[in-house]
Amino acid sequence: MALLLRTHYKLAKTAIKENRTRSFLTCLGIAIGVASIILILSLMGSISNLIKSEIGEIGADLIVVRPGTTKDTVTSIVEELTSANSFQKSNLSASDTDAIKKIENISAAAPIAISNNTVASEKNTFSSVSILGTTTDFIKIEPLAMRFGSFFNENNQENSVVLGHTLSLALFNTINSTVGKTITIMGEKFMVVGVLDEIEKSISFDNIDFDNALIMNINAIDKLTGSTQVQQINVKAANTDSLDTISDNIKKTLLEKKNGDQNFAVAHGDGITHPAGSLFNIISGMLTLVAAISLVVGGIGVMNIMLVSVAERTHEIGIRKAVGASSRNILLQFLFEALILSILGGIFGLILGYILAFILSTFTPFAPFISWEILAITFLTTLVIGIIFGIYPALKAATKNPIDSLKHYQ
Amino acid sequence: MSENTIIELKGLTKKYGYGDTESFALKDFDLTIKRGEFIMIMGPSGCGKTTLLNIIGLLDRATRGEYILNGENVAGISSHRQAKLRAKKIGFVFQNFNLINDLPILENVALPLVYTGYSKTSRLKNASSVLKRFHLQEREYYLPYQLSGGQQQRVAIARAIVGDPEIILADEPTGNLDSRSSHIVMEELKGIHEEGNTIIMVTHNPTLTVYATRVINMLDGQIDTDVKTVADANLPQPISVKIKKRKSDFSSLTDNDVKRSRRSRRSRRKK
Repeated sequence: MALLLRTHYKLAKTAIKENRTRSFLTCLGIAIGVASIILILSLMGSISNLIKSEIGEIGADLIVVRPGTTKDTVTSIVEELTSANSFQKSNLSASDTDAIKKIENISAAAPIAISNNTVASEKNTFSSVSILGTTTDFIKIEPLAMRFGSFFNENNQENSVVLGHTLSLALFNTINSTVGKTITIMGEKFMVVGVLDEIEKSISFDNIDFDNALIMNINAIDKLTGSTQVQQINVKAANTDSLDTISDNIKKTLLEKKNGDQNFAVAHGDGITHPAGSLFNIISGMLTLVAAISLVVGGIGVMNIMLVSVAERTHEIGIRKAVGASSRNILLQFLFEALILSILGGIFGLILGYILAFILSTFTPFAPFISWEILAITFLTTLVIGIIFGIYPALKAATKNPIDSLKHYQ
Repeated sequence: MSENTIIELKGLTKKYGYGDTESFALKDFDLTIKRGEFIMIMGPSGCGKTTLLNIIGLLDRATRGEYILNGENVAGISSHRQAKLRAKKIGFVFQNFNLINDLPILENVALPLVYTGYSKTSRLKNASSVLKRFHLQEREYYLPYQLSGGQQQRVAIARAIVGDPEIILADEPTGNLDSRSSHIVMEELKGIHEEGNTIIMVTHNPTLTVYATRVINMLDGQIDTDVKTVADANLPQPISVKIKKRKSDFSSLTDNDVKRSRRSRRSRRKK
């Protein structure tokens, strides 16, 4: 049997070599489909790597408390990501932060409350500037680089603000001499104590664009607007070994405090990037689906060329049957031919896809991403495509009547 | 049934069409063929000669009737089994040669061995020595169209006998050849017959009947006349001896050697 399989493989190889141009074009059809899938998977892989490295930079000791229960279904993730008001539902408060701080093994905890308001300097006025209300712990957890000045501290926190790089430029047309100047929010005056460095990372786990944000004390905002909602609490653990236990403790403490109303989620590690990661998974799934269509087109190409090949070689099939080939022999011979075509196409596509990914990586931050899963998926898909689109022509060849085939015009 | 009977046909009927278009290519056809016979089947066009040959060659099936090949009733066997028997027991020679144009002569001759489980080397070795017998060895790597008709038909005969079949079926093998090539081809067939092979040949040419040991005239799907020119006792018989000799001549490895080495390799792997 093994010998026969090898013979079929050799026969198929000879047939493919004899029709070089035709085989190449057929392979190209498969290759383009595979290349687009590879390109998408590689891109998505590198994006999720970027997200992971973002967490890595912050440190493995980060725990995040977010409002709302953990979302797992695709619909709820999409809802969360597309709804502008998702933060409104928050039931976290600044006092929760204080409760968390009392738990052992926690070195810092800072709330994040985001609101929009009009900010005015002596020169310009901007409406709907993102204002991030937090505490002095914030800088301990997320070490933002300061361009000028410093983050506010216990002594000056009540009337100090920190500006994002771009916001500073917008308000004062400069970043150099911004520190020490005053801005007005809802009639109250605040002093600028620091300007953030430009943020180069494209993704932040806080969902905040720090370049355009204004950071101030959460109590100061409370006083201005009357009420603030905490959208996230960042927690820094004292040691990284017991993150699970600490998370559980936070959960317990908050549940107690809220009388069992669990409308929040505690996440650490990969869980922090969950919403963003899920979004990319959804996008990559859809793009892969679109690429799969081109793969199906490639498969139809294989089927087409195999049908031509079977029709062309009807006489040969008749001869082979007359000298003792069974229908199964003929089936295998043509199925192998289709399989070789599609697998060759897959290998082509793999190479083509990575060449494209490399070209793309030269002007985007997405490095080509290779994993054994991608290779396995490619191989399996091309195998399946080869079988699906090769079986019909092969069956057609196998069921030909030898007498009629022998009479077939040569 | 005597031991020397190789083919026995009883009440073989082949019907085409239904109702008004019904026609019989063979009608209650009875025939017993002994090992070593050289049968020529003659008759007008449409009398069922080729249909008979196709049924004997297991390429076609009778509508009803019995076909006993080597003591086994093969009338109702699966097409897979038909193919296996074709590969082992039957060699075909056609009027239009039916060689695969893309393959060199050597691989054309080796074709039947593909389906009986020979390795590539032993296939080509066997094919090469059969070609040598037909004085075509120096043309091994020619493509079929580069040879004359007579040469192509000799290649086809080489292909028919390479697997040591018991029966050789020839459908007008000289129909496309001039008289000189016809003569050479017939001499080759005669040589094969003298080694003990059973040959059944369809022809339109009455002068060729001198080669036959039995001449059957067919008419409307039935036997018209059946003349034996050689007594059954005088038919050439040394088939089994010859097969063994040829296999050991052609390659240093016999099939058993190959099997044995494969078995030992497998057992070594198990250890």
